[in-house]
Amino acid sequence: MRALLAFLGARLTRALVAVWLVSTVVFVVMRLSGDPVPLLLPPDAPRSEYARVAKELGTDRPLPVQYVVFLGHVAQADFGRSIHFREPAMRVVLGYLPATAELGLTAFVFAVLVAVPVGVISAVRRNTLVDQAAMGVALVGQSAPTFFLGILFILTLSLKAGLLPTSGRGDWTHLVLPALTLGAFAMASIARLTRSALLDVLRQDYVRTARAKGLREWRVVAKHAFRNAAIPVLTITGLQLGTLLGGAVVTETVFAWPGIGRLAIHSIYNRDYPVVQCVVFLSAVLFVALNFFIELVYGFLDPRIRPR
Amino acid sequence: MASSIPVSVPAEAPAAEAARGGRVAQRTRRLVAAGAVFVVLLTLMAAAAPWLAPQDPVRQSLRARLAAPTLEAADGRAHPLGTDHLGRDVLSRMIYGARVSLLVGFAAVMVGGLVGAALGILAGYRGGWTDTVIMTVADAQLAFPFILLAIGIIAVLGPSFPTLVIVIGLSGWVDYARVLRSQVLVLRSREFVDAILALGGAVPRIVARHILPNVLSTLVVIATLQLARAIVLEATLSFLGLGIQPPTPSWGGMIQEGREYLDSAWWISIFPGCLLLLTSLVVSRSGDWLRDLLDPTLRSE
Amino acid sequence: MSGLTRRELLKAAGVAGVAGAAAALPSALAGPAGAQGTQKRELVVAQGGDISKFDPHYSTSANDIRISFNLFDNLIARHPDGKLHPSLATDWKLTNPTAWTFKLRQGVKWHNGDPFTSADVKYSFERTWDAKQNTRVSTVFTTVEKVEAPDANTVVFTTKKPDPLLAARVAFYGGQIVPKKYLEAVGNDAFNAKPVGTGPVKFVSWTKDDRIVLEANPDYFGGKPDFDRFVMRAVPEMAPRVAGLLKGEVDIITQLPPDQGERVSGHPSTRVAGALYAGLYVLAVNSKVPPLDNPLVKQALSLAVDRDLIVKELWRGRGIVPSGPIAKGDNHFDSSLPALKYDPSQARERLKKSGYKGEEIVIETTAAYMANDKPMAEAVVAMWRDIGVNGKVEVVEYSVRAQKNRDRTFKGLWWSDPTSTLSDPDGMFWRLLSPGGPQDYWRHPRFDELGEAARFSVDEKFRGQAYKEMTKIFLEHLPWIPVIQPYEDYGLQKHVDWTPNPNQQFEIRRFAFKFRRA
Repeated sequence: MRALLAFLGARLTRALVAVWLVSTVVFVVMRLSGDPVPLLLPPDAPRSEYARVAKELGTDRPLPVQYVVFLGHVAQADFGRSIHFREPAMRVVLGYLPATAELGLTAFVFAVLVAVPVGVISAVRRNTLVDQAAMGVALVGQSAPTFFLGILFILTLSLKAGLLPTSGRGDWTHLVLPALTLGAFAMASIARLTRSALLDVLRQDYVRTARAKGLREWRVVAKHAFRNAAIPVLTITGLQLGTLLGGAVVTETVFAWPGIGRLAIHSIYNRDYPVVQCVVFLSAVLFVALNFFIELVYGFLDPRIRPR
Repeated sequence: MASSIPVSVPAEAPAAEAARGGRVAQRTRRLVAAGAVFVVLLTLMAAAAPWLAPQDPVRQSLRARLAAPTLEAADGRAHPLGTDHLGRDVLSRMIYGARVSLLVGFAAVMVGGLVGAALGILAGYRGGWTDTVIMTVADAQLAFPFILLAIGIIAVLGPSFPTLVIVIGLSGWVDYARVLRSQVLVLRSREFVDAILALGGAVPRIVARHILPNVLSTLVVIATLQLARAIVLEATLSFLGLGIQPPTPSWGGMIQEGREYLDSAWWISIFPGCLLLLTSLVVSRSGDWLRDLLDPTLRSE
Repeated sequence: MSGLTRRELLKAAGVAGVAGAAAALPSALAGPAGAQGTQKRELVVAQGGDISKFDPHYSTSANDIRISFNLFDNLIARHPDGKLHPSLATDWKLTNPTAWTFKLRQGVKWHNGDPFTSADVKYSFERTWDAKQNTRVSTVFTTVEKVEAPDANTVVFTTKKPDPLLAARVAFYGGQIVPKKYLEAVGNDAFNAKPVGTGPVKFVSWTKDDRIVLEANPDYFGGKPDFDRFVMRAVPEMAPRVAGLLKGEVDIITQLPPDQGERVSGHPSTRVAGALYAGLYVLAVNSKVPPLDNPLVKQALSLAVDRDLIVKELWRGRGIVPSGPIAKGDNHFDSSLPALKYDPSQARERLKKSGYKGEEIVIETTAAYMANDKPMAEAVVAMWRDIGVNGKVEVVEYSVRAQKNRDRTFKGLWWSDPTSTLSDPDGMFWRLLSPGGPQDYWRHPRFDELGEAARFSVDEKFRGQAYKEMTKIFLEHLPWIPVIQPYEDYGLQKHVDWTPNPNQQFEIRRFAFKFRRA
């Protein structure tokens, strides 16, 4: 039990540090550009608004005090009002969150469902054409910039073949290309890792023993090898959730998917800094929470720290 | 623990490789050489752009806009890779675009490397609180979707070459830091370092003579993988409009400009995109092979 | 139960489900009806951006007026045939040289049920020129001295001097009637969030940057429109906008660039409909910012632009090169005036003479808000670079452009598409460039004098001379650099029976729009 608590404690600390770090960077960058107040208000705001916000941020006080005030606001999830939408920034961002969640989860599930079997098959059928082809594709998927992959998909599957819509959110057909694009990197990484993890395990002595005992290959794989290969695979799979969040920014832009990634980009073009800050912060929190959860699962699985 | 380097997989397990008597090693060495040649050629191409590019990359020629790859377009010139929506030669822009990709890429890798090495050495040498703080920050940044922070920073400070280099560079300092830190820790356990310091020896000399030689090959591997990452990140930011601004040609920018014409003039986006893909593939694979060759212990869990 | 195990049952159900879905899929993906006729009762339109405001007095840009002219009515309406027709007013006449009497339609109700009366008319007009309100239409009715409502059905306009164009003024922007009782009760912001008008459609919802949903007003005095719902979608990117049309998801799309025209006309179920724009596409100049305060610089900039090439290549010939600030088709258009010249060597000369020292000159452009805005900006800047100007293109989002327009913070030049609201120079360049007007960045005493005089004269010959002279002054000082008078194209499904208005007014009332019923 102690081991588990220590483990969790360390992970929680790291999570909080990450969120604090992101907030600090946001604060520093906003101050670096000069007076932050004009950035947070529409240009036609009356002087009284300007004065009020300046007072709230404490721009007349010394920098460390401003920092504390800022952290206070962040803790209350108060990022001010969106200049473009004229609503609290947090409310706007939360409104766009479901679309990103839909895309991200679909991409993730899709990636795992395809990658793991492919990795297993590649490992079992090592060095055959299937293996080489699959790993070749995975290589490209891992090296390709996400945005270009999306454009390639649009060109081939949507424009030329006319099979799927080019952009936007609607019925399930709209989800296919964005999910494929977003999940490509994760899919490739998981497939490659599954293969190598399984190969490693398959070389172990106890597997050889099982084979020598005369067990059929697939039984060997399923019963012994896979369970032990699962831990690294799970870890890397969990980590992909985080990269999905980052990839969402680009994928949503390419496919005009109305999620928080596209919101962030458009808010930058609109000079709507409250929303930009809010998206950055919320993404950090989400990412950190997801990772923390995954590490929790990992902690339970790892026999070294599992509570007895 | 996660690495910011994309998960890479060794070509063969070390034991098996040894068993093959280094034949795989030989093959890998050749592949690395090929990769290096590619990068050198690309760099030469970028450097020689003014002489190599058939045309001025910003020269518009409205008469020949959206021309398919041809030997004679409406403006009487050859455009082997076609023209864009303003009649600018795609091939020339791609050649010049390589400058941006490589310049930002190399610069970012250097920034990341210097910052990372410095912090790593600091963490290893000082230990205690400094170490804890630096490592916690490193862990926190690791695998965090840095692009979100990057766009947040660029949104406020505005896109410019220095901002871009610093932001992209800082996205990758952690790997260098960890390596340097562990090397320093190893050395600290050896008494002769304390002896040298007691005698008034300077830290930089220690770094140069005792630390760097041991980690050089590892750093090269990291740098190569980081270069691929940096190039892709720069292209992504340019695609989003947050990178190098037009009319300076950049691969990401070209892909963005060609989006509107995907159905009618696909070459505007596809050619630069394929070159980007190829570069990313070759450089990151070279990094993988280098790692297999030089330091398989870098393989992440 | 029969011999089927549960597992087999489930499997069968699964197969049946998939088969059923597969069968349903083609019809779900296909459009609502055949290419030539349709049963649909919902009109879906996609335009190049979201609106900035519903309030008709606070925005006159193309994206906004497509909605505001349908939520609200004017006293008089200009139909696609170019003529003025009764709308909220049934009759109007000049009762003495400086007074117009309008008889209002009876029995009209606001969307919230309140009755429409002359008090609303008086309130609306007074609001446009109320200095405290600071509307965008404050210079439309500067000829009017006062508005009176002697009884519930009558309105009398008294003009400062004889104004022959009052009826035309009342028909265009600024002349939309807003509800006095509702507005005074809820205030400008709430009114903008939930607008109430008398028009053929009522407000239902607004999802920012996505869509506006309006429903047909069954009690509209002009008859219920030929649909139950009108959805205006904001699709700033051109590729998905066109794709939406070709896939049948959208009935009409606006701001169709000529590059895409062939795609749309080549497609079996769609066609292109266009009209020569009643206005110009110009590069408006912030003449307060040096070096743009120097007329020689601006002349050089204008001489350096190869407009013929732009029309031919970027517009596929769908446009004409302007000759000055007056659009073709307007009163007093001087067809003898030559098209704006392209002469790079003269341009270089003027630039040198002006003492230009290489200061940066910026065009701030949107991307795909006005057709070809960004490509034209890039082409023009390249042409300027050729004569030695340090030109630069900066792309800004539409909302940022709207802000800069309101606050007059443009760095140099920007695209403007001044609409000729009265088919007369008074309603186009004078409305915008006059003292206190929305584009008041430059003044010239003789120009101002002539503009004022022409506004109030009933002598068309005098007005013609005045505008001739003003054009000369304009061409010397170039507060705008006119670039093209384009055909504004729209993409439509063939089952839509609709002709575009040359002045960007998106008319969906019964007399202008209907679906071709199968």
